[in-house]
Amino acid sequence: MPQVSTNEFKAGLKIEVEGQPYTIVSNEFVKPGKGQSFNRVRIKHLKTNRVIEKTFKSGDKVDIADVSETNMRLLYKEADGAVFMDEITFEQITIPTDTLGDISQWLVDDILYGVIFYNGNPVTVEPPTFMEMRIVETAPGDRGNTASGRVLKPAITQSGAKIQVPIFIDQDEVVKVDTRTGEYVARVTESK
Amino acid sequence: MSTPQAEQIKILRDRSDMLTTARNFFLQRNILEVDCPLITQAASIDAHIDLIKVLDEQGTRYLHSSPEYGMKRLLSEGIGDIYQLGHVFRHGEQSLKHNPEFMMAEWYRLNISFEQMIEETVEFIRLFIGDLPFHIISYRDLFLKYTSLDYLHATHQELYNYLTTHEVIPYPGIELEGRDALLNLILGSLIEPQLGKNELCVLAYYPSSQAALAKTCQRGDETAAERFEIYYKGVELANGYHELTNSTEQRQRFIESNAFRLQLGKETLPIDELFLKALEKGLPDCCGVAVGFDRLMMLRHNRNNIADVIPFAWDIA
Repeated sequence: MPQVSTNEFKAGLKIEVEGQPYTIVSNEFVKPGKGQSFNRVRIKHLKTNRVIEKTFKSGDKVDIADVSETNMRLLYKEADGAVFMDEITFEQITIPTDTLGDISQWLVDDILYGVIFYNGNPVTVEPPTFMEMRIVETAPGDRGNTASGRVLKPAITQSGAKIQVPIFIDQDEVVKVDTRTGEYVARVTESK
Repeated sequence: MSTPQAEQIKILRDRSDMLTTARNFFLQRNILEVDCPLITQAASIDAHIDLIKVLDEQGTRYLHSSPEYGMKRLLSEGIGDIYQLGHVFRHGEQSLKHNPEFMMAEWYRLNISFEQMIEETVEFIRLFIGDLPFHIISYRDLFLKYTSLDYLHATHQELYNYLTTHEVIPYPGIELEGRDALLNLILGSLIEPQLGKNELCVLAYYPSSQAALAKTCQRGDETAAERFEIYYKGVELANGYHELTNSTEQRQRFIESNAFRLQLGKETLPIDELFLKALEKGLPDCCGVAVGFDRLMMLRHNRNNIADVIPFAWDIA
């Protein structure tokens, strides 16, 4: 397996630690006085997104995780997964619901997603950062509440994501959502 | 708003001024400038400092990691107080605060106490970052203050547990490197970033196992090294010693450092017999210190990247 030295650590690099795939979030070289230098590294688990901190002795080598990313279009959702198609090879794969995890709430047919493969198997799906989604369920706006500062209300998107939208958004309107945080970004009137 | 290039030129002009200021500091104290060679047959033996090799037909030479051995050879010849202001080289040390080639001010003073040497180093640092107060704390008190651990009596397991309960997972293989490796990890990751917030923090009296080239002294039940480091805003600026003058002990420390290097999977380094011979001849009682010039420039100009205060950083050198 190819390896990488701590000297080449940088954000975004995919490494394998204790048999698990991680992305490097940040890397700091530390050398107190005349002591052994080490790297304090924050790494994010590729599947769970959990961030942990590890130390590495500077100069040590770690395995590079066999990770690749392919752009794939969502064809349709099934009961136990979702079917994606490679834009170039037209190859189709089914990604099970377990693997999709929280991403399920951002799945919309015919949208391009980044599919991350680890050792040849899909491990996670990255939705576009911003997605336009139709609101399928939300209570009518109670404009009287603006004075007290309660300007947001719960809503459910076509993909099932539960988000907060301003009270002026009505059912069947299309809004732009930041999929990293689930935050409402803007009203998309022209798509209405 | 000026461009980054114009900003850097401004800093480099100030760098030139500060090189002059530094030389004047030494001139006023009658400290002589020397220029010991950068490329040497033998070089500093430190378990954790790796050298950059220079190859020629006659064999391997090394870019020095400090002019220390050469300067001490001159001291034993009776040259008196000296300084060297020049570049030193350390393989693989690269980060926002490290460049493998960097500028160091190193000087030696005869007949001066350890505490006086600390004060003089503080005066030098003040040339760059202003008239800051300073506070001396021993290594032992520092650990007590920040971690409640008495480094001298804490067990290996206690040190290890302290790290893991503070979310620092020690790197694999640390158990083979002894207690100093754990102390180093605690200091580097959990204490250092807090040092020198509003004043210069002088960390002094290191464990004897981290003496390097310093004399040791007895402090209660502790044998401590007369070694100090100075920190400001979490940045290490200086490393000084009451210098070890005993050649037998020096040879012993070289052998130990080389043995440790082997254990770490590194190659051993040639022992500098000319340096040891000078110690045998007699190094006068003296104190010495090395100060990172580039780091002082970083603090002076509020920069967090060493590349901003030197002409060309390693990647574009």
